[in-house]
Amino acid sequence: MQSGTTRAKRQPAWHMLASEFSEATLNEKGSGEYDPSFVITKLGAKVNRVVVAGLLERLEVRETSNGSTLYQGQMRDPSGVHYFSVGDYASESMRELTLTLVEKTEAGEPVLLLMVAKSRWYQTDEGAVYTSLRPEEACEIDAQQYALWLTRTCEDTLQRMKHFTDSLSAEPTREGLVAAGIPEHMVDGLLVSRNHYGEIEIENYTLNIMQALDIAEGRMEAASQPVAAPAPSADADADGDSGDAAAGSETEVKDTIVSIIEQLDQGDGVDFETVLTNTVARGFDRSLAEEKLDELSNEGTLHEPRFGWFRIVA
Amino acid sequence: MSEKYETHIKSILAECPDADPEAISAAFAKYESEFFIPPQDAMRSILRRFKGETTPTPSAGSSGSSSSSAPKTTRKVSRLSELKGTDREIEIEVEIISHNIRDQTIRGEQKQIAFGLLEDNPWEEDGEKNRWEYKDWGPNSNITPGSVVRIEGASVNEYQGKMSLNINQSTRIAVIREGTRPVTAPGEPQDISSLPSEGYVCIVGRVIATRPDQIHRKDGSGSIDIIRGRLADETGTIGFLSWEPLEHEVGTLLKIEGAQVRTFRDTPELNFGRTTKIEVYHDKNFADVDVLSKQTVLTLSELRDGAQDVDAVVQITEWAKRSFTRDGEERFLWSGQIADPTGRCRMSAWNELPITEDQLPLTVRLKGVRVRSWQGIPDITIDNADQVEILDAPPWDSELDLKNHVVEVPLHELSSGASRIGISTSAIVVSVREDSGFIQRCTECRRVLREGVCADHGANDGNSDIRLRLAIDNGRSSVSLLTNKDATLSLIGMNESELQDAINDAGQVAFVQSLRGKMLGRKINATGRTIVDEQGAMLLADGASMVEEDAGLRATEIRAQWRVA
Repeated sequence: MQSGTTRAKRQPAWHMLASEFSEATLNEKGSGEYDPSFVITKLGAKVNRVVVAGLLERLEVRETSNGSTLYQGQMRDPSGVHYFSVGDYASESMRELTLTLVEKTEAGEPVLLLMVAKSRWYQTDEGAVYTSLRPEEACEIDAQQYALWLTRTCEDTLQRMKHFTDSLSAEPTREGLVAAGIPEHMVDGLLVSRNHYGEIEIENYTLNIMQALDIAEGRMEAASQPVAAPAPSADADADGDSGDAAAGSETEVKDTIVSIIEQLDQGDGVDFETVLTNTVARGFDRSLAEEKLDELSNEGTLHEPRFGWFRIVA
Repeated sequence: MSEKYETHIKSILAECPDADPEAISAAFAKYESEFFIPPQDAMRSILRRFKGETTPTPSAGSSGSSSSSAPKTTRKVSRLSELKGTDREIEIEVEIISHNIRDQTIRGEQKQIAFGLLEDNPWEEDGEKNRWEYKDWGPNSNITPGSVVRIEGASVNEYQGKMSLNINQSTRIAVIREGTRPVTAPGEPQDISSLPSEGYVCIVGRVIATRPDQIHRKDGSGSIDIIRGRLADETGTIGFLSWEPLEHEVGTLLKIEGAQVRTFRDTPELNFGRTTKIEVYHDKNFADVDVLSKQTVLTLSELRDGAQDVDAVVQITEWAKRSFTRDGEERFLWSGQIADPTGRCRMSAWNELPITEDQLPLTVRLKGVRVRSWQGIPDITIDNADQVEILDAPPWDSELDLKNHVVEVPLHELSSGASRIGISTSAIVVSVREDSGFIQRCTECRRVLREGVCADHGANDGNSDIRLRLAIDNGRSSVSLLTNKDATLSLIGMNESELQDAINDAGQVAFVQSLRGKMLGRKINATGRTIVDEQGAMLLADGASMVEEDAGLRATEIRAQWRVA
C-alpha cells in the first residue's frame, strides 16, 4: 500500500506496572537503523511499547539547550512512578494534550491518565540504567477505566510471574523454555533476563498486584489521593479468612509482618488493613496475624505513630 | 570501568605490554554489553586483536612447514556478494545456518567432512542476507548451527555458476557468538512438525502417497523424471520431491538422511538428491498408513499457500461457471465460496463438477487437492472431478449457517496465520490514527487519496467514505484495524451528518482526540476479514463494538483464578 520503505511489524504493547518497568536495567537494540529498541524487565518482558495508566503527579516544561521544548512528567500507579517526556518530536495531538494537562496540574486538578508509550532507557556515566517513556497517544480516563486498566495489568503481570517461575526449573535454552510451556513472546526476554538479573525477588510484585486489585474492587482510593488515606476500620470478615490459610509458625508470621512493613513504609507507616491483607496473602491465618501484630507492638518492635498505622522502631 | 575487568586486563597486558589499558577495557565492555560475551570468554579474541596490533608484520617462515612462507594477504569482505570465484584467503563474518557431518572416501581414505549453509551480514537483524553453501574439510569442531563466526583464510569455489566457500584445514574459525539454534546431531531423526524451513535434516517417516511426475526444463530442452509424494510421522506430514528414482511404495517406513528442506510459498517440502541416504526402517510401533493419513485432513483455518495433497470436508455455499479466453480459445473455470466451522475461503475447479446452484449449500469431501492463495485468502484448486465426493450431510451440526458463520479467533493467531474470512476477535485499542473519519477514495481503484492524489491514477475528486484506522493489541501481537462506514457510525453512535458536524465543530485533530477518550486502552470486538503479509496483519471490519467490562468483578475473578488473597 504505502510505497517505498518496508516497515517492520508493529511492536505489541505490554500492560505493565511502574515497579516492573522502572526496575528494569537491561536493554537491547539491534544494529540496524530501524531496529526496535527494547527494555527487558526482570520478569522477562521484552518491552518496546507499553499501555500504562495512573495519576499525573507532575508535568513541567524544560527549556533545552538547543531551543526545543521538552515536557517532563511523572505518573504514579499503585506500584510506583513512571517518568515520561513529550518533546517536539511528538504528534500534534499529543503536544496539544500536554498543554491542557500542564494547565490542569498547575491548577492542582487531579488527572488520571492512560498512555500508549514507547520505552526509553539511558545509562549514566556511572553505569546506572534508567528507564523512561515517550507517550505516542494518551487520554484522560475515569476511575472505572483506570480500574479496568489495573485488572488487565494485574492479570498480565501474574501471567508473566507464572512464566518466570516456570522458566526457573527449565533448561535455560530456547528449546528448554518452549518445552516448559513458555509462550513464544516471552522466550527471548526470559533467556536474557535470567542471565542479567540473576536471582530475583518477585514477592514485591505480588504486593503491588494486591494493592492494585484492592483499588479495582473499590477498596482504596489511593489513585485519586496521592497522600495516604486514613486507616479503614478493621472489617474482620471483609476478606482474607480463607479456610486454607496455613497457620505458619509464630516467628514466621512476625518476620513476615516486619518485612511487609519494611517494604511498604513510605515514611508514614503502613495501615492495619494493608499489613493484614498482605500477611494473609502470604498464607497466614488472619486472626493469628492480628494477634502477632499486637504482640509486635507490645514488645516494642513496632510503634504506632498514628492510630492504626505501624512503623518499625528504628 | 577498568576496575571491573582488572584481572583480565592484566592478563592481556602480560602478553601485550604495549597495549593501551583503556582500549582493552573498552573492548571487554563492548563484548559484554553488545554481544553478551563475558570477559573470560572474550579473552582470546581480545588478546589476538591486541597482539595483531603490536606485531603488525608477521615474520616470514614462522608458521608451520606445510604453509607457504610468503606472508599471506587476507582479503577482508563483509558481504558474500563482494567475492569472485577465484578469491583465495578471504576473511568474512557469517552466521552458520546448518552444519552436517558426513563420512566421505577421499583418495581411498575414510574421512569426515562437513557441509551446510552460511549467511552473511550476521549482525543486522532484518537486513539483506545472502546464503551460500560451504564445505568444511576440517571439520572444525567449533562450527555449530546458529553461531556467528569469523572465517579467516577460506577460499571461494565456483561450480556451474554456483558459488560456495571452502573451509580448509588451515582456515581459522573464531566464534564470535555462540550458537543459539538447536543443534541436531547428524543422523538423529527429527519430528516432521519441528523441521526447520530450510536446511538438511534426517527424518523417519512412512510413505503415505507417491506418484511419478515430470519437470519440464524452462528452455525446452526436455524434461526430468521425478517422484513426488508425502511422508508422515505422528507429528505431521510433509511433501517430498525426489530427483532420483524412488521405488518405495505407500506404507513403507523409511529413514532418510541428508534430505534438504525447501520452503515454497508457505509450505516446506523435502528434496531428495544424489547425496540423500534412504533406507527401509523397522519400527513395529510406528503408526500405520490409515492413522497417519488422517493428518492430511485439514480445516480451512489450517490451509497454507502452496499446500498439496490436502483432504478436507467443506460446504459449498456459492458456485458459478466463468469463461475466459486463452490463446484465442474460450475456456471455462468453475469457482465459488466454501466454508467449514473454522472459516470460509474460495474454491476453483478446472473441470465441471456435478453441482447445480439449487443444491447449495452442499457438503463435499475433497481429496488430494492443492492450495493457492489470492490476496492472502486461500483458494482450493481442483484439477479433476474425481477429487470431489458429494456427501449426504455435513459431519457437523447441520443447523450451522456457514455462509454467515463467524469464528472467534485470538488476536495473535490472526496476526501470524493465513488471511481469513468470517472471523471475529477482541483486543485493546492502542492507537486511533489521525486519518480516522472522512476520507476520499480514488474513483478508479478505491484507494485512499493523499492530498487529492491517487498513487496510481493521479489527481481526482474522489468519493467520500468514512472509516476508522486503529491499532489493536493483546500484549503479544498487534493488528491494524480498519472499520468500514457502517461499522464506524455504529461504533461512535452517530449518523453521517452528526459526524460531519462533530468534525466541523471540533476540527480533525480534536475530533480524533475525542475518539481516543472513548476508545484508547479499552477493549473492542471486531468482525470481518484479515489480510496478512510480512508487515503484519490488517483486519477489515464490517462490524465493531466496544466491550463493556466490570472492573470489580474482573478483579475478584483474578483473585480467585490466581489465588491472590
